[in-house]
Amino acid sequence: MVRLTLAQMRRSIGRLSAAGIAILIGTAFLTATLLAGTVINRITTDSIAAQFADSDLVVASNAGIDQAGVAEIRGTEGVEAADPQVLRAFELVSGGKRTYQVVVPTASDPRFEAQELVEGAMPARSGQIALPSDVAERLGLGLGDTVTVVRSVWTPNAEGAATEQGAPTGATDGETAAPEEIAPTDGATDEAGSETAPTDQDAPVEEEPAGTFVDTNEKLTLVGTLDDPMGAYAQVGGAGVLSDEDLTAWEAESFVPGESATAYNAVLVALAPGADLEAVRSSVTGSLGGDTEVWTSAEYAKEQAAQMTGGEDVFTYVILTFAAIALLVAALVIANTFQVLVAQRTRTLALLRCVGADRKQLARSVLLEAVILGLVASVAGILFGIGLVQLALTVAGSMDLGIPLPSVVQVTPVAVLVPLLVGTVVTLVASFSPARAATRVAPLAALRPSDAPTLTSGAGRVRLAISSILVVGGAGLLVLGVLLGQQGSAEAGLLAATAGGAASFVGVLVGAIFWLPKVVSLVGKVLTGSGSTAKLAAANTLRNPRRTAATSTALLIGVTLVAMMSTGAVSARMSMNNELDGRYPVDVSLATDGYDEYGGNQPVALPQSTIGTAEKVDGVESVVPLTATSVTVDLDGNDVTFLARGVDPGAAAALVRDEKAVEGLAPGTVVVPAGVAEDWGISTGDELELAAAPLPEDANPQGTPATLEALVTPMGGRALLVTPQTLEGVATGTPVTSAWVGLADVNDAASVVPALQDALAETDLPIDVTGAAVERAMYQKVVDTILGVIVGLLAVAVVIALIGVANTLSLSVIERRRESATLRAIGLSRSQLRWMLAIEGMLIAGVGAVLGILLGIAYGWAGASAALAVMGDVTLAVPWRDVALVLVVALVAGLLASVIPGRSAARTSPVEALAVD
Amino acid sequence: MDTTVYQPIPGTPPAQGTPAVRARSLTKLYGKGEATVRALDGVDVDFEKGAFTAIMGPSGSGKSTLMHLLAGLDTASSGQGFIGDTEITALGDNELTRLRRDRVGFVFQSFNLLPMFTAEQNITLPIELAGRKVDAETKEWLATLVQTLGLGARLTHRPSELSGGQQQRVAIARALIAKPEVVFADEPTGNLDSRSGAEVLSFLRRSVRELGRTIIMVTHDPTAAAYADRVILIADGRIAGDIDNPTPESVLAGLDALRTLENDPADALAGTTGPTAVRA
Repeated sequence: MVRLTLAQMRRSIGRLSAAGIAILIGTAFLTATLLAGTVINRITTDSIAAQFADSDLVVASNAGIDQAGVAEIRGTEGVEAADPQVLRAFELVSGGKRTYQVVVPTASDPRFEAQELVEGAMPARSGQIALPSDVAERLGLGLGDTVTVVRSVWTPNAEGAATEQGAPTGATDGETAAPEEIAPTDGATDEAGSETAPTDQDAPVEEEPAGTFVDTNEKLTLVGTLDDPMGAYAQVGGAGVLSDEDLTAWEAESFVPGESATAYNAVLVALAPGADLEAVRSSVTGSLGGDTEVWTSAEYAKEQAAQMTGGEDVFTYVILTFAAIALLVAALVIANTFQVLVAQRTRTLALLRCVGADRKQLARSVLLEAVILGLVASVAGILFGIGLVQLALTVAGSMDLGIPLPSVVQVTPVAVLVPLLVGTVVTLVASFSPARAATRVAPLAALRPSDAPTLTSGAGRVRLAISSILVVGGAGLLVLGVLLGQQGSAEAGLLAATAGGAASFVGVLVGAIFWLPKVVSLVGKVLTGSGSTAKLAAANTLRNPRRTAATSTALLIGVTLVAMMSTGAVSARMSMNNELDGRYPVDVSLATDGYDEYGGNQPVALPQSTIGTAEKVDGVESVVPLTATSVTVDLDGNDVTFLARGVDPGAAAALVRDEKAVEGLAPGTVVVPAGVAEDWGISTGDELELAAAPLPEDANPQGTPATLEALVTPMGGRALLVTPQTLEGVATGTPVTSAWVGLADVNDAASVVPALQDALAETDLPIDVTGAAVERAMYQKVVDTILGVIVGLLAVAVVIALIGVANTLSLSVIERRRESATLRAIGLSRSQLRWMLAIEGMLIAGVGAVLGILLGIAYGWAGASAALAVMGDVTLAVPWRDVALVLVVALVAGLLASVIPGRSAARTSPVEALAVD
Repeated sequence: MDTTVYQPIPGTPPAQGTPAVRARSLTKLYGKGEATVRALDGVDVDFEKGAFTAIMGPSGSGKSTLMHLLAGLDTASSGQGFIGDTEITALGDNELTRLRRDRVGFVFQSFNLLPMFTAEQNITLPIELAGRKVDAETKEWLATLVQTLGLGARLTHRPSELSGGQQQRVAIARALIAKPEVVFADEPTGNLDSRSGAEVLSFLRRSVRELGRTIIMVTHDPTAAAYADRVILIADGRIAGDIDNPTPESVLAGLDALRTLENDPADALAGTTGPTAVRA
């Protein structure tokens, strides 16, 4: 029987390899995903370990180790050196260029030094800095040049607690001039991050002791450039080195006194020569107590990587889901192929039954064939997958990404065994139904003349029942999910919608055989009218409903998911656009005083040339300048500082997104943004007296306080809005510090905003670019990237499905050889025959795609409704461009899939119609 | 260029204009070199219009090859074949397809109906393939065919719901629907029981007698051949006999004579130059 199976496989090698390719792609996907997970894990571990350089031990504590603890570790016997692990970030300025840079202190022992010097030396004393060579180059710095480091210093208020500036305004935005805590690579420092954060920004008005953060510029000399060969700081964009002295001093000044003291999550330890590692470990553990743990550096790196890859694994699981989808589609293609193989071998099978083979033997033969095919295809797929990852590594390695990559892919047993097992089992399971069909072949069939394949009956009632229950129940859950989402419970809603969507989709797939072929044939009839070729093609799709359904379904799965993701993304985009449009008054605003809306520094004038530059950017429709100055307003006896902007009411009305935002703006009125009004209890009609606020480094400006009528409008932001004349009266000589920019089409934000930012970057002045369009551009990029990745992953499933379409068509051609010959004999031309198959292919693919698109849009809308309802009104959109693209790809693929089968069918000589087999 | 001098075969009825189908020195070789097989060896034959002619011969005699060549299904190695005045041996694939569509009908041994179409759709398929509408004239012709072939109650059935005889009658209707100049039938009763076979043959004869069609049938069954107006015997790729108004007995006798020839080829060749008339 085994010999017979092998002989039969040899005869069907072409068809089997087409099916094998489906499994090959699926397993290759699986292998590549698993291997990539391993590679990412290894890179992570390596780069974490690189931070510990050649240290022997790492003392770690989630609660933090303070200076005393560090001193204690240093004093422990056997410890030669111990340095806390410190990563801080500062803004570096050189010429007109700025960058945020992570810095670490100089190491007390060369064993802690993770980076190598390229030129110069490590900072030896205060006032020196070493930078990664690429950063130095970007800032245009050479050795000996001066670079400015901006740091924030807590400065107690001179006048005591009278002013309240900054407190409530700061509540809307976390942006302060405080040193930014960049989360170090070990996720555990997050807690420490908030702990060492200087102030609690969400705190209400009262704050003890009173004071502000003042930006202080430090001039440092570049003494060395660095290379990071092991990628220790690659994940934070490289790290500069400051003298320990400077960093410690700055650190102390960056805290509100009494608020918190510096605590470290990890302290690196280097042992004295001959010291016993275990002895040091236990004595350090004993002396520090608490949750302190002492690891070897390698252990700690592994542990940290494991904590991180908790997150990475989620990523792997997500991709594995797509691999599962690809394999499901592959299973459909294989089930199809085996069904046809069994149908074609009916005579052989019947003959075997005649000469004494029993049903079990026939079934076993089919299953054995499936196992062999599954094994061979899986092995090929695994090799292909390994090759892909190796190729990716080689290419990435040659591109110098700044991360040390393993040059050879490390093949893990899991990455081989799992795909092998999954690929084989999927193939085997897919062949169950064909194997059952093989057992149903009656011995008598051997004696009957083999007729042209007749219409096969559909499927049973059980299938119909299961399908109906799943569809109806799933749809119900889906609706429930949407309703839940609209009532504000997004999580429960999304959960219900996901479950409902999955159930109804499975129902649709299970029930496909009942309606899909009919839809295909109906579409064929409608689209093609009475043309005989098209009529033949449409009729052909009906002759084997099970196969048509399976082929179309395979495509339907991928297309539905692509359409769903795309619809969800577009709906989310539209909804977020609406949300942002409400939040920002204008498309883009440019300002030199970005921070000042929340604080009170001296305004920097926005040059006219900058406004000219902005006007010239493609896609920018208009630019309106705004003057600004700080004003104080007496609210219930407190002088509260605000930023007041002056803008021409006419120009503003033309530019704002919602005209109501500036409605009524005129001399004698002041527009109060709704958010400010709410915080300070201001309502329309209140009289506000605006007076020029004292400026820190300047004499108080000249001007006359003005009493204005407040207009509370849906204006965004925190600044009061008056006419330029009014503002000029309050404080003479107020400069233009910002500009509102209107885009010709805000939907072009993704391309216009970067162009605008580039144009402005060429001016030396740092300019804040904010607004709805900017955020649009930002998250549009994020959404598009995520969507691109997801669609890319789903594309694998679509490709497999298209192989299925080609496979089905070529099987049909072989099966209908006699029929093709008959048609040729009674007057069908070669091109008509080819065209018939092309229409058949396009019908199967096109209908699968159209139905998939419709389903996908429905699911996408349901998902968006359930998930986004909390954001406010959900806009349901159709991603027309993507929809058209999917449809075109499906039709072209259906057409292409028919080319090779069509050629072989056209070669059929009409004489074969006369042949009797 | 036709160098063969046309000579009426002795015993054939006087020619009424151009014959429906003609073969001139028609030759078909299979294989190459030593292994060359002469399936058809310079055959000259005429088939008259409005006649029902049977081609008979033992298996391997070349009778099917002759039909394939005359129907434009296969290409000749040399010689010429004509349908009416058209030299089919000179046509390309597209012209042959058009010729088959418009001027030739086929009836196959295994019926070869399209399983997904009803009987009526199968019958009108050639009209649709030609891109023509089923007009009033065609409908009338269809009604005539359906009546003659006794298919009235079966038109909406699919092939799987029809008996073998019924399927073959649908196939005959399909072959006649375009009013072709000639219908080729290849062992039309080969897959049928004797009663259905007799029925189908009667219908073929009625198609010729009552509807004025021309039918050429390949068969190896003397009883089937006896339904024809004329039987042409073929052996070893050559015309070996010609029987007018055959009866089963006369056909059998002709076949016996062939067998004698085969058993004693030297004798047979000595006595014959060209087509031999075997008289029963």
